[in-house]
Amino acid sequence: MADTQLLLGLSFALFALGLVGVMVRRNALVMLMCMELMLNAVILALVTFSLETATLSGAVLVFLIFVVAAAEIAIAIPIVLQLSRQRSSLDVEGYDRLKG
Amino acid sequence: MNLLTVIVLLPLAGFLLNGLLGGRLGRTFVSVVGCGLPILAFLATIKAVTILQTAGPDAALLEVAYRWASFGDQGFDVAFYFDRLTAVMTLIITGVGSLIHVYSTGYMKDDPGYARYFAYLNLFLFFMLTLVLGRSLLVCFVGWEGVGLASYLLIGFWFEDPAKAAAGKKAFITNRVGDAGFLLGLFLLYWALGTLNMDEINAAFAGPVAPAVSASLVGLLLFIGATGKSAQIPLHVWLPDAMAGPTPVSALIHAATMVTAGVYLVARLHGIYEHAPEASQIVAVIGVLTAFFAATIALVQTDIKKVLAYSTVSQLGLMFLALGVGAYGVAVFHVYTHAFFKACLFLGAGSVIHALGGEQDIRRMGGLWRRIPITFGTFAVATAAIAGIPPLAGFFSKDEILWFALASEHGGSPFLWVLGSTASLLTSFYMFRLLWLTFLTPSRMSHDTEHHVHESPFSMTGVLVVLALLSAIGGFFQLPHFLEPLLPMPAVSESLEHYEHSFVFVAVAVAFLGLATAAFMYRGGLARGEALAARFPRLHRLLDGKYYVDELYQAVLYRPLHWLSDRVFLGLGDRLLIDGSLHGLAAITRRASGRLSRIENGQLQWYVAMAVIGVVGCLVWVWRNG
Amino acid sequence: MTIDQLLVYFFGACALLGGVLMLVARHPMRVALALISCMLSLAGIYAMLGVHVVAVFQVLIYVGAVMVFMVYVIMLLDVRDPSFLRRYGHLLVPAVVLGALLAGALGVSAIRVGAPAIQPGTGPAPSYLVQPFSVEFLREYWLHFELTSVLLVAAVVAAIAIIRSGRRSDG
Repeated sequence: MADTQLLLGLSFALFALGLVGVMVRRNALVMLMCMELMLNAVILALVTFSLETATLSGAVLVFLIFVVAAAEIAIAIPIVLQLSRQRSSLDVEGYDRLKG
Repeated sequence: MNLLTVIVLLPLAGFLLNGLLGGRLGRTFVSVVGCGLPILAFLATIKAVTILQTAGPDAALLEVAYRWASFGDQGFDVAFYFDRLTAVMTLIITGVGSLIHVYSTGYMKDDPGYARYFAYLNLFLFFMLTLVLGRSLLVCFVGWEGVGLASYLLIGFWFEDPAKAAAGKKAFITNRVGDAGFLLGLFLLYWALGTLNMDEINAAFAGPVAPAVSASLVGLLLFIGATGKSAQIPLHVWLPDAMAGPTPVSALIHAATMVTAGVYLVARLHGIYEHAPEASQIVAVIGVLTAFFAATIALVQTDIKKVLAYSTVSQLGLMFLALGVGAYGVAVFHVYTHAFFKACLFLGAGSVIHALGGEQDIRRMGGLWRRIPITFGTFAVATAAIAGIPPLAGFFSKDEILWFALASEHGGSPFLWVLGSTASLLTSFYMFRLLWLTFLTPSRMSHDTEHHVHESPFSMTGVLVVLALLSAIGGFFQLPHFLEPLLPMPAVSESLEHYEHSFVFVAVAVAFLGLATAAFMYRGGLARGEALAARFPRLHRLLDGKYYVDELYQAVLYRPLHWLSDRVFLGLGDRLLIDGSLHGLAAITRRASGRLSRIENGQLQWYVAMAVIGVVGCLVWVWRNG
Repeated sequence: MTIDQLLVYFFGACALLGGVLMLVARHPMRVALALISCMLSLAGIYAMLGVHVVAVFQVLIYVGAVMVFMVYVIMLLDVRDPSFLRRYGHLLVPAVVLGALLAGALGVSAIRVGAPAIQPGTGPAPSYLVQPFSVEFLREYWLHFELTSVLLVAAVVAAIAIIRSGRRSDG
């Protein structure tokens, strides 16, 4: 079997990459996709731990994450669509109506 | 046996009834309640006196009404104390007070504030009785303040006139200045002796161990309070202005009773003053100076009530002169006789004003002796009494004062006697001047006033007759001997003891000299008086301006205080410091919040970055701390 | 070094490369494709590890539904707006620093000596083949399964609500 630590390291790297992407990219859809990357990194970590502890609960949680990701994308995309229609652009730097 | 409490509470009941219900229940109700209750109090006082007489010369009745405050094992009681001195004062207050109440039913008949007037008058009686019947200086002080309040309410009775309201304010505030001294004396006494009961205070000062506080200091402080209440120099300025109130008020409060509260206080606390020669000397000197200067001012007054007001100040000065040389009983004797003749004079003046339909200027009076004979007769008797013509009441009391001023071992001196006698001479002169110009000279009245002149109703003239009678025969009751067990007479210097009778003759001669001079000057009217005034214009102006004391106070006290309040306390303290700091705090908050709100810029990526910083921090902390 | 291990390393490198390409590409379609390739690499890793179920569902749901939806939306929208010309926001440098810090912190906490070791569970090793996994799943974790369906209903309702409000605001 592969090194647990290597897999975990890959998971952390992908997570960090996704986070940086969320903070850095200006397109709203790209931001969403970076959030998906973060979720994927978590799935990898969960699978690794599930194999390590030789239980099923990690894999079961993975299924829950699938469901959550699907639901999230189903809601988030329409929201982004509405936002972009109001501002006529997908640039997140323009979405600052909540400034206070 | 709650007799003393009943005496005190009867006028209070009158105040409450007339104050709350009087407006609705009509004049008769108000008159009956307003006069009846003081008369009942007078009868109760007589009963208390009879009880006292059976108990012995220096006995006292003591009633503790209730415990006012207690802290630990000490406390203050509301207690009433009735010895011979209190008996005299209470009889004067309830007796003369009842007479003046009866007079007021006639004088104030047409006034719309009839019920309010009697309510305030009864309130005054309640507080005055508290003052003289109180055993503790604290209860006395309650009465002291209360009569100041009642005086304010009554002086400013016609408060729609701003000048009259201002006179009321002036009286109250000047009293308050004196009260500061009173309170300081009170605090010192309590600190040194642990009690405020006046009989215990006297015993402490007379006892073997000297108290921790200087008798002269306490005596001086208490005397400052007395100067405020009894209108001595330098706090005498309120009494002439107080003539703005109704005339019966002037008679009751500013002649017979309230202004004698200071005299009562010093006489009651004679134990302190017997051991305070410096303070007594100051009392005597201020008394005689007040007597002299007030008499000089009265020489040129043209308002009938103002003459009487300055006369009151002057007579009070003589009372303090007696107190200062240790003749406490004699001072109280003069209070007693002064109550009769001064009340008679004021009420007579009220009768004249009533008869003339409101005229108060003596330059526009004259020839009234035929038109209002009863008023004239009583006024003449009272004038003779105040001048010291024997055998009327004033002669006895004033003569004793002057004798002790000269001969007392406790501070008597020729200087005091000379000034006192000069004041008496002037008193006799200006009082007869008043009598002549008002009643005996040819008429200078305006035509309408002359038609209006009529004698006052019986409620007024009856009282005048009673008071004139008392002024005539009151002196025969030897009050100083009656009070001697309580208030011993001072020792008299031996060298002068034989000359007592000669000095009596001098005093009588002085009185007649004043009468003769006044008759000579004013027989034909104002002419000779005005010629004399024209010969000494500057002196006349000085006296007419009351030595410019009011103007002095205005410049030295009022204007700097006003500047201080306005510029310093309002401008700097209130606006700059307090408002400024509050506004400053608000401005700081606003600015800080403005700056802090920049964190919330509405941009999602910024929020995410903030969250990540937090997460990293948490992770590092967990890593560090296991 | 067996072929299995080599394949795992290979797939891992592909996943990493996909992640980096996601950050670098300008056109959102290229970003989507990079993400798809990353996901497929991850599925490959799961398959090599023997967790077949997860690998299959990763491809089916994640790539097949989520990413397809994403691609449709990208195609529908006009992506040549300011975010196309300037890819990165003004937080570029701080974000990179923070990301590195985060990765470092995570890594240190996982890899350091003395970290509590992962305890293998007791009992027989589970099988991740589809049929035995499904039996175990629905026997032990049926409640979680039902709850996810509740979540999906909620999501459907929310989606409808958004569409409705969007239609209303359009007039």
